[in-house]
Amino acid sequence: QAWLNEKFAPELLESKPEIIECVVEQLDHMEANLKRAKKGDLKVSVHRMEIERIRYVLSSYLRCRLVKIEKFFPHVLEKEKSRAEGEPSILSPEEFAFAKEYMANTETYLKNVALKHMPPNLQKVSLLKSVPKPNLDSFVFLRVLERQENILVEPETDEQREYAIDLEEGSQHLIRYRTVAPLVASGAVQLI
Amino acid sequence: LFQGDLGPFNPGLPVEVPVWLAINLKQRQKCRLIPPEWMDVGKLEEIRDQERKEDTFTPMPSPHYMELTKLLLNYASDNIPKADEIRTLVKDTWDTRVAKLRLSADSFVRQQEAHAKLDNLTLMEINTTGTFLTQALDHMYKLRTNLQPAQSSQSQDF
Repeated sequence: QAWLNEKFAPELLESKPEIIECVVEQLDHMEANLKRAKKGDLKVSVHRMEIERIRYVLSSYLRCRLVKIEKFFPHVLEKEKSRAEGEPSILSPEEFAFAKEYMANTETYLKNVALKHMPPNLQKVSLLKSVPKPNLDSFVFLRVLERQENILVEPETDEQREYAIDLEEGSQHLIRYRTVAPLVASGAVQLI
Repeated sequence: LFQGDLGPFNPGLPVEVPVWLAINLKQRQKCRLIPPEWMDVGKLEEIRDQERKEDTFTPMPSPHYMELTKLLLNYASDNIPKADEIRTLVKDTWDTRVAKLRLSADSFVRQQEAHAKLDNLTLMEINTTGTFLTQALDHMYKLRTNLQPAQSSQSQDF
């Protein structure tokens, strides 16, 4: 579920360290089992196939997050800094370190390659302003897991009025991400 | 296994397994695949005619009917009676549905709707047209909101 949501969401979603840890632990556990029990080729190969499949999902998930971090790095760091105390983090500690390093490296690189050679009053670049923000208005497909009432669909032009829709459980929709972002975070809908 | 237990595997007795495992075992010639009950000429003809009659999308026998058909017909066609007819029937149904999808996507963009309900569409269909459709809609949205300068849409300046 987390994997699909992350894949189709235009912004970086909450980091889910518990799920990741749990999956990694189980993978290690299974590998250890397999190493010991070398009997019955069929069972071993079936288990091995399953491990590969799960590993694929896990690494695809992590890769997707890293791509988003690299794409939107100043905004991601800004969001993390301005996060209130009780709110869940969108970055795991390793991802946070990665993002900070990436930012520092990019700044150093830009400075050494170009900015150093420009006239003094142009030597600053605001990364926050120049790196494009995640497009929260992009359209996404979703499936409803928990019934929702009265979701407000905002108009795109001034001629249209806003209207409310109900989301039935099990139905599928195409809508702008911004409207359903909180539902994705709470798990009420699943992006597909 | 992670997601539940399988088996017991006794020779000659049918057992339910995930598709990836079934295909793998079949490739190693360790098993015979049994087609799902909807994969039958009569049933599929009914489905195809139903789809042609209705304007909206009819429910499909399985949310993954396309993928299953392709996989089973590729790897296990010897286990499936009248494989070629089945292939044609499923393809007809698929073509009808995709044509409907194209029409409705066209009207969606034309009328600048903000929301669409798409029950009874399978994932394969959604993902076939999905990327193109979402990108097109994104571009249209950006173009439209740029027409209205008084909006709160943020533009980026240096």
